[in-house]
Amino acid sequence: MTMQAIGKPHSRVDGRAKVTGGARYAAEFNQPDQLYAVVVGSTVGLGRILRIDAGAVAQMPGVRAVISHLNAPRLAYQPHKGGTDPANGERLHVLQDDQVRFYGQPVAVIVADSLDHAERAAAALAVSYAGETPVVDPLDAKVQPVAPQAGRAGADRSRGDADAAFAAAPVTVEASFDMARENHTPMEPHATIAAWSGDRLTLWSKSQFVVNEQAEIAAIFGMPAANVQVICPFVGGGFGTSLRTWPHVTLAAIAARQVGRPVKLVLTRRQMFHTTGHRPRTLQRVALGATTDGRLTSLIHEGSGETSRYEQFVEALTSTSGFMYSCPNVRTRYRLLPMDTGTPTFMRGPGEASGMYAVESAIDELSYKLGIDPVELRRRNEPAIDEAEKLPFSSRSLMQCYALGAERFGWASRDPRPRAMRDGRLLIGWGVASASYPCFFSPASARVRLLADGSAEVEAASSDMGPGTYTSMTQVAAETLSLPLDKVRFSLGRSDFPATPSHGGSQTMSSVGSAVRAACLAVQAELAKRAVADRRSQLFGASIDSVEWREGRLSRKGDAAAGPSYSELVTGAGGSPVEAGASAARDAAIAKQYSMHAFGAVFVEVSVDPDLGLVRLRRAVGAYGAGRIVNPKLATSQCIGGMVGGLGMALMERTALDPRDGRPVNAHMGDYLVPVNLDVPHLEAHFVEEQDPHVNPLGVKGLGEVALVGMAPAIANAVFHATGKRVRELPIRIENLLDV
Amino acid sequence: MKAAAFNYARAASVDEAVQMLVRGGGGAKLLAGGQSLLPALNLRLMSLDLLVDITGIAALRGIRVEGGTLKIGAMTRHADLLTSPEIAAHAPLLAKAIAHVAHPAIRNRGTIGGNLAHADPASELPACMLALGATLVIQGPSGQRRVQAADFFLGLYQTALAPDEILIAIELPALASGERAFFHEYARRMGDYAIVGLAAQGKPAGDRIDALRLVYFGVGERAGSCPAAARILQQRHSPAILAEAQAALAADLQPQNDHQASAAMRLHLARTLLARCVNELLGRAEASA
Ligand SMILES: Cc1cc2nc3c(=O)[nH]c(=O)nc-3n(C[C@H](O)[C@H](O)[C@H](O)COP(=O)(O)OP(=O)(O)OC[C@H]3O[C@@H](n4cnc5c(N)ncnc54)[C@H](O)[C@@H]3O)c2cc1C
Repeated sequence: MTMQAIGKPHSRVDGRAKVTGGARYAAEFNQPDQLYAVVVGSTVGLGRILRIDAGAVAQMPGVRAVISHLNAPRLAYQPHKGGTDPANGERLHVLQDDQVRFYGQPVAVIVADSLDHAERAAAALAVSYAGETPVVDPLDAKVQPVAPQAGRAGADRSRGDADAAFAAAPVTVEASFDMARENHTPMEPHATIAAWSGDRLTLWSKSQFVVNEQAEIAAIFGMPAANVQVICPFVGGGFGTSLRTWPHVTLAAIAARQVGRPVKLVLTRRQMFHTTGHRPRTLQRVALGATTDGRLTSLIHEGSGETSRYEQFVEALTSTSGFMYSCPNVRTRYRLLPMDTGTPTFMRGPGEASGMYAVESAIDELSYKLGIDPVELRRRNEPAIDEAEKLPFSSRSLMQCYALGAERFGWASRDPRPRAMRDGRLLIGWGVASASYPCFFSPASARVRLLADGSAEVEAASSDMGPGTYTSMTQVAAETLSLPLDKVRFSLGRSDFPATPSHGGSQTMSSVGSAVRAACLAVQAELAKRAVADRRSQLFGASIDSVEWREGRLSRKGDAAAGPSYSELVTGAGGSPVEAGASAARDAAIAKQYSMHAFGAVFVEVSVDPDLGLVRLRRAVGAYGAGRIVNPKLATSQCIGGMVGGLGMALMERTALDPRDGRPVNAHMGDYLVPVNLDVPHLEAHFVEEQDPHVNPLGVKGLGEVALVGMAPAIANAVFHATGKRVRELPIRIENLLDV
Repeated sequence: MKAAAFNYARAASVDEAVQMLVRGGGGAKLLAGGQSLLPALNLRLMSLDLLVDITGIAALRGIRVEGGTLKIGAMTRHADLLTSPEIAAHAPLLAKAIAHVAHPAIRNRGTIGGNLAHADPASELPACMLALGATLVIQGPSGQRRVQAADFFLGLYQTALAPDEILIAIELPALASGERAFFHEYARRMGDYAIVGLAAQGKPAGDRIDALRLVYFGVGERAGSCPAAARILQQRHSPAILAEAQAALAADLQPQNDHQASAAMRLHLARTLLARCVNELLGRAEASA
């Protein structure tokens, strides 16, 4: 039996559970005696709560509690910074004071014996405010940009003299870009069921980071983390919105404690636009200088993004600008725009997607100014090393991505002139852009148990918001243990499982996958150690160095005869499961030796109705260099999902705020536009062969984010090619193309 | 969210349904396809005492041609209209329009009667009724009456139906020889309600268009007929005449400003659609605006 689980297009191991309703999501873990909580959000965008008429509402049918800052417990709110929390500032302390910091901020929570009763009471609760006018528009003159305090992103960087080189350059492009705020809008709403048993709290809660949710809630309530258990086996889409623990989790726990019964709290779609983060609106300026033969001499990238007044949300807006192109003079600058809004958060491709939209659009502009094909222009400026870090890339297949993508797309037949390609009355545009995302690898742990029946149980806290963690981890374990897939059962989504990093940053495959592999090797080592020490074993007395695992059997080295199987060894040793855990982390030395990123090239075709300004995506080809592809079927599906996200960013998604109070006016799926099936044409994802021994033991780079990055600029560039009009705003709407 | 509690009754006949509505006295509503009513109930935009289910009344469903008239039962589903050879032959405008109504799942349940009774200003079908000169057949406690489409749609979700009346059928004059239909709409996302749409039918005669009916939807509080523009287009076609008709739309339409689109953009799109419509009806190759 030669096992090859990795690299095969296996179908999702949890697919059947998902399509038959067997997969249980947070809100489905109903508890006996459960009550229902509904959040009441502020109806002003800034100010102070003057009065809350709880009395009348408390008498309404079924109402068990009306909790506001007037009667909520004062919580410990001990310092806690999870990996997905802003490094600077302090989280919203929910129901701890009378201040309203943004529209929709929770000001009360109603607990009742049915959802209907709770909703009714929440609607009836009269809250009066001393309201002020919030600042919610980044273009408002009252906004004071600030430099991010030492955070994760070293944002302001400079090499050479970019401004002087720009001034001296024979060919230049200078452009400003405005990208709309986006909300994640996953299908599954945020939901938490909280149940106390004495001083122990169990949370069935939608989360992409259960171990952080455990630690954070423990810190907020001032209790040992061991007393908090977070359970989340399935996530119905996240895109980053469930990386942080938002106030509703705390509210559910407060409510459950107050009424002494389990409480279920589900946010409405509308509420998800208030307090669960968003991709910040960004304003950017890019200036490029080049020689007449298309060598970049200057690259200046300045950007700013909205944040709240109480936290500094920092994303990687300018971080790819230092290494995408070979250029002696580069300057980046990043500022935050504190406003009266909830704190933004990571959304698929956080920073890279927005920043590369601006730079990749500017590069496209430059290609027209120079009269050089945009793919060729990128080839001429392809760097040999990461010039920002002065490090070699662990691997970089961007040019191979361009070659593969161009071939599959048929780029060679493009007429480079704007407005030159047509289909009947429609203008056709072909556009291209690069994508990149870093290869993170954070410390992670996993545990493996070998059972007497020869099967393996694998556990890690982790999460699966859709990429297929269940399946890919099963493949890694099956491959490492040389077991068939159906002999491996992988479980995730519990905070008492071995700790893993956030299920974000495209690092689950690398981090958790490496930990699962390490744990499989550890359990094999443990079993081998026992076998050579066990009198009942046929390998008793052999030195540990003289045996090896071959295809799931412990055999003597150099001896062709197969030794005992897992089942034989575990059974022979008495039958109780053999367990081992292990951790994996990136070698700090490697991190100093290599610059590690995934790359991609995205080709798209759009049509534009010239009279109506109507843009439609007609097809797209993405080619990615993402290291080893563990499961081509899942990887393709993940890339297509990312491309759809990029399509939404390019042409549809935009959270519109009422300038008077900061209320998101299109806070529902009818008016916040995400593409539907009819908007999504044929999308293709291809992977270039790439072996990268440095990124992690599995050689995987992660795909979740790089698949979205690059799509929006490719579409924007295609719109220019179709129309000859450069729109520097996302989403591109008919208003932009019609000048009305 | 879930709807507030209500009572439910299933009517076996139109007469019985009318009696139930009368007894319900304003607190009763008909359930047709439920594709507008149920979301409104579930979102608690409305509540009611009694839901009168008329989906079991077979007599209300079906498409017939009688003489020069197409008779459509109010409970005929969108999906039936889309695939009906009678509709395709005698009311091609409606066939074109139905393809733009929502998505297949919704078309499988939604009915023409429910759609017209709902009178959404962005819906395709009220505009088609005006463009086709439909007659709406209504039954109430005191018998049947017939209302012209022009007198049926009164405003935002407002019709000539009394609370105890039922729209039972729609009668359309079949397409006359020489008549042509034009339909186009603009939505930012496929399947959504239009920001601007145009349903039109007329009789091209050389380079004039006779008997032209131009009806916009998604612009203003109800489907908007444009008699002034249509009158101008009865003259011999020329760029100046087209421009004059386009200018006249400003008087015919009252476009609204909302977060989907500004009034100015709606008017611009309406004018662009008019040019496209005239060119298509006259069979002219279209010059890009
Ligand atoms: C996601 C979505 C997208 C949609 N997109 C579109 C679109 O693009 N274009 C469009 O036109 N529509 C659209 N619709 C609405 C759809 O066409 C509905 O089917 C239609 O508006 C209502 O028809 P119904 O049969 O479902 O009526 P119901 O929802 O059952 O009833 C609607 C109203 O009419 C009343 N009523 C129903 N039948 C009668 C009758 N015979 N006599 C008197 N009153 C009656 C009801 O009491 C109720 O008040 C969409 C709906 C959804 C959910």
